[in-house]
Amino acid sequence: MSTETLRRVSDEKRRRTSRGSSGRTNNRKAKSSTGRKFFNRGMGLDLPFLIIVLILMVVGLIMMFSASYPVAYYNQNGDSFYFLKRQLIFVILGIACMLVISFIDYHSLHRLSYMFLGISYFSLILVLFLPAVNNVHRWVGVGSFGIQASEISKFAIILFMAHWGSLYYDKMGTIKYGVLPAVLLFGTTAGLLVLEPHFSGIVIIFLLTLIMLFISGINVKWLGMAGIVAVIAFFIAWATGMLSYAMQRMDGWGQALEYTTKEMWNTTWQTRNSLYAIGSGGLFGLGLGNSRQKYLFLPEPQNDFIFAIVCEELGLIGAITILLIFALLVWRGITLSLRAPDRFGKLLGIGLTSQIGLQVILNILVITDWLPNTGISLPFFSYGGSSMIVLSAQMGVVLSISRQANIEKA
Amino acid sequence: MIKSEKGAKQKLGQRTVVLLSIILIVGFGAVIARIAYLQLVKGEELSQKAVEQQLHDTEISAKRGTIYDRTGKVLAQSASVWRVVMAPANFKTDEQRKVTAKGLSEILDLDYDDVLELTKQNSYYVNVKRKVESAERKKLLKLMDTLKEKYELSNVIDLLDDYKRYYPYNELASSVIGFTGSDDQGLSGIEYQYDDYLSGTSGRLVSAKNSRGTDMPFDYEQNVAAEDGHDLVLTIDETCQSVLEKYMTQNIIDFGVYNRACGILMDVTNGDILSMATVGGFNLNDPYTIADKEKRKEIKAIKDKTKKQKAYNEALQEQWRNKAISDTYYPGSVFKIITSAMALQENVIDADTSTFYCSGSMKVADKEIGCHNLSGHGTQTFEQAIINSCNPAFMQIGEKVGAEKYWEYYQAFGFSELTGIDLPGESEDIFFSEDGSMQVVDLAVASFGQGISITPIQMITAVSTVANGGNLVQPHIVKQIKDADGNVVKNFDNTVKRKVVSEDVTKTINKCLEDNAIQNGVKCGYVAGYRVAGKTGTSEKLYDSNGDGEEDYISSFVGYAPADDPKYAMLLFFDTPTGDNYYGSVVAAPVFSEVMEELLPYLEVETEYTDEELENLDAVAGTYTGLTVEQAQQQAEQDNIIAVVKGNGDKVVAQVPEAGSTVPNGGTVVLYTDKESATQTVEIPNLVGYSLSEANEIAAQCGLNLSVKGASTASDAISTQQSLAEGTKVAEGTVVTVTFSAQTGVAD
Repeated sequence: MSTETLRRVSDEKRRRTSRGSSGRTNNRKAKSSTGRKFFNRGMGLDLPFLIIVLILMVVGLIMMFSASYPVAYYNQNGDSFYFLKRQLIFVILGIACMLVISFIDYHSLHRLSYMFLGISYFSLILVLFLPAVNNVHRWVGVGSFGIQASEISKFAIILFMAHWGSLYYDKMGTIKYGVLPAVLLFGTTAGLLVLEPHFSGIVIIFLLTLIMLFISGINVKWLGMAGIVAVIAFFIAWATGMLSYAMQRMDGWGQALEYTTKEMWNTTWQTRNSLYAIGSGGLFGLGLGNSRQKYLFLPEPQNDFIFAIVCEELGLIGAITILLIFALLVWRGITLSLRAPDRFGKLLGIGLTSQIGLQVILNILVITDWLPNTGISLPFFSYGGSSMIVLSAQMGVVLSISRQANIEKA
Repeated sequence: MIKSEKGAKQKLGQRTVVLLSIILIVGFGAVIARIAYLQLVKGEELSQKAVEQQLHDTEISAKRGTIYDRTGKVLAQSASVWRVVMAPANFKTDEQRKVTAKGLSEILDLDYDDVLELTKQNSYYVNVKRKVESAERKKLLKLMDTLKEKYELSNVIDLLDDYKRYYPYNELASSVIGFTGSDDQGLSGIEYQYDDYLSGTSGRLVSAKNSRGTDMPFDYEQNVAAEDGHDLVLTIDETCQSVLEKYMTQNIIDFGVYNRACGILMDVTNGDILSMATVGGFNLNDPYTIADKEKRKEIKAIKDKTKKQKAYNEALQEQWRNKAISDTYYPGSVFKIITSAMALQENVIDADTSTFYCSGSMKVADKEIGCHNLSGHGTQTFEQAIINSCNPAFMQIGEKVGAEKYWEYYQAFGFSELTGIDLPGESEDIFFSEDGSMQVVDLAVASFGQGISITPIQMITAVSTVANGGNLVQPHIVKQIKDADGNVVKNFDNTVKRKVVSEDVTKTINKCLEDNAIQNGVKCGYVAGYRVAGKTGTSEKLYDSNGDGEEDYISSFVGYAPADDPKYAMLLFFDTPTGDNYYGSVVAAPVFSEVMEELLPYLEVETEYTDEELENLDAVAGTYTGLTVEQAQQQAEQDNIIAVVKGNGDKVVAQVPEAGSTVPNGGTVVLYTDKESATQTVEIPNLVGYSLSEANEIAAQCGLNLSVKGASTASDAISTQQSLAEGTKVAEGTVVTVTFSAQTGVAD
């Protein structure tokens, strides 16, 4: 770390400590200058946000079960509860994880931001040397408990950029502090993701980087340029065939219903059946558990395409209701983050909450054939342990922020 | 620093609002709009497509309706068999496809490559073969077991209900009933004509299946039951039909008829077709096999493949052809009935007073047209002209009618139009010209039925018009349509097209034709005990069809009974007899007598014997055994039989002939009073070559009873056949049947 950075870190610490004590009411002892306790209950977490997360987890679990039981029945030797049992464990672990993390003072993440970045790069490189699953290198882990390298990257980048943005809040308008680190970070991460390949990961990380830069106060003209660069990069990648995998996946994008060849019929099978499922739902849906498309027509309905089954069973009314809960989560998450005592907490909270919103939007654009089918899961709904636990942990961080946000309010 | 910090904070707040708006309004807004569009606007279209792939539609065959004859006998019926279907989308490996294709092709006698092609389709419902019988079904079930055990394939082959058409009477009325194709669709005859009624509506079994084609674990089934086809009740009477075909078949053999024959039996009062036969027909259960053995050999001998196929196809078309409605022919002298009706209706001749002179030929417009009797018939009355079937007489009658009127009546009798019989393939007539104009010679020959080509069904319909008092009826073959529950769907009422001639005219003609039958005997359709009217016809064909270098003829006959109140008319038509005899009187008329003799009692037409016939009427021997001699003698006397007692016992222990045997009136029955005398025998003498009285005398001398058959009433009748050979030893009193035929008469 440069001397400049070290100075800013100590400045930041000082600011935080002083505000913490000044806003505090009299019944608690002032913190020592050595810093805060690792665990901090603060003034209690944000209950509405917690409730929203729990509602999404429960609804997600129910819908995941509904979507998965035929597939489980046919593919897991008649065990209809195969996915439910596992996801239930993941949810419980996730909730535990979330609650524990909510007690940890998020400021400790300041120090850990470089470490997470290190873990991110390590796993992105490691994953390339692990055996491919379905022709892609995405998962790191042991046995059935793996994690997608990009999940770590997303968190690491949000964390780092919150850290950086809070340190150099006054220099974000410059190229050196505002643009270069982000370009470097995104460029290297995206480069590694191309090798996996993981197109949707790049897209999410790109958007997250943009969001973080935007709220960190970067000059908007750089964002515009980033957009132009992205478009150019995309076309170069397209032309050179670097994104051959993504291209293959995109073949038939937006044409799921207008197949002309047998090959297209096969590539667009999942998207087409997703559209069939959504369309079958109509306004009120076929009723919970009554999806027909989940009977092996829509492959892996418990994963990325789970919302298609939601639409089929609960109809437009149900789909909008669930989307509104997600929107509420985003609203609550961002507004509570804005009340965080410091810039780091604000940036971190907004970044983590935005990620949820972003994933929801991208996921649904995929299942409705507006984006190519590239593997973006739906938070709290899609089956998968690592995603559930990482998301829960991130929500734990937001809750941790909420504890201190309420301090200031009180 | 602080200021900058505050500024940054403010900026952060503003930008967060922007971010939040973008995520919530743009992002979530777009997502909700997209889903709403898909669910509400495109919803119907998408769910329709979803349903299409989720639902599996299985066709349920409808049972084809039964065809009954007028008495309720089954002529055509569908029996349960199976249909083999396949769900090739369930195959997982090429090996499975090959094994299945091999099994199916072997069991079902199909081409391996064709079946293999089917197994490659990405479908859950492919028809493999229809009408699979139980023997094959058993093998298929075994194959299915093997597939299940070895490859865990349980959802690839399925057997569904199907029906196969059976025709219990094989060849009977084959050209009328017709047959069905592989998909149960009618291809010819009634099966084709009434296919819409017979075929019913296939049902559907719609069930929800998952992507692998197995049932989804919830109830989602819709069963649209097959609607079985309607049953038909024909006007055809199986008994009449088989009697007609029996005698025609024999006659075809006897006279070497080359181009088959047809016969129609029609109820003149309402147009019901009781029988319509084209002999030889074909086996309805095996329509694609050439029924004619000779023809089959002929085709087999052809080496060239295309020629062979062509010959085979032609032979098939030929054997399926319903001659009664599809063939056109010169009606010949039979048409004289119609010419007579025209002349009488137009009052250009008088049945009682007009006379016609025949010198053996007549000159018409520089052309000498001969009579079949080259020495001429001399001066004849109208009735004599009919009985003689004199051509010059009818040329004179035709001349009196005139071309214009001839054409008018030709149309009125329905020759210029289709009869409208409910069968496919009815041919149109061929007249001299489109507009009915005729040359003088045309009119002359048309008067005796040459030069105009008509169908047999037109001919009998016209004759029926004369027989029934002048009404042209529409012939029909289906009487009633019933649904599967037996409710009547449709009754076919009799259609009278128009009144053509007056009853007076028809009565005159009936009388003449009856006299014709009486005077000419079996040569003109005489049937003892019934009043029969009839007319023979012999017509030349335009070309030599069998290539034997001799002119081809059609021998035909039309008659009806009873003559005083006609009910049943029959037309017989033998195409190209190849023996020495080709006259209608020899080839066709006797068949009429034979058929009518058997059918008129069955049709419950009352007998009306003349005195002469009563004398020749047979008596029936009663049961005399067990009676005393005196009682037996009395009983025999009552039965019009003379009893001859042999032996010295008191009681009759045996009798010849047996009780119930027919014996001529005044014949003898020998009563034995003891066992010894019962062994006495007599030797059968020669009975051929005698007149009726001579034969009777000889038989009586030997103690035999004579049963008379054939044209015994003709003045010059001579016996031609005897049922028991000369020299055979039989018991006294045995009945010998002797057949008589007339030696001269109409050569027409």
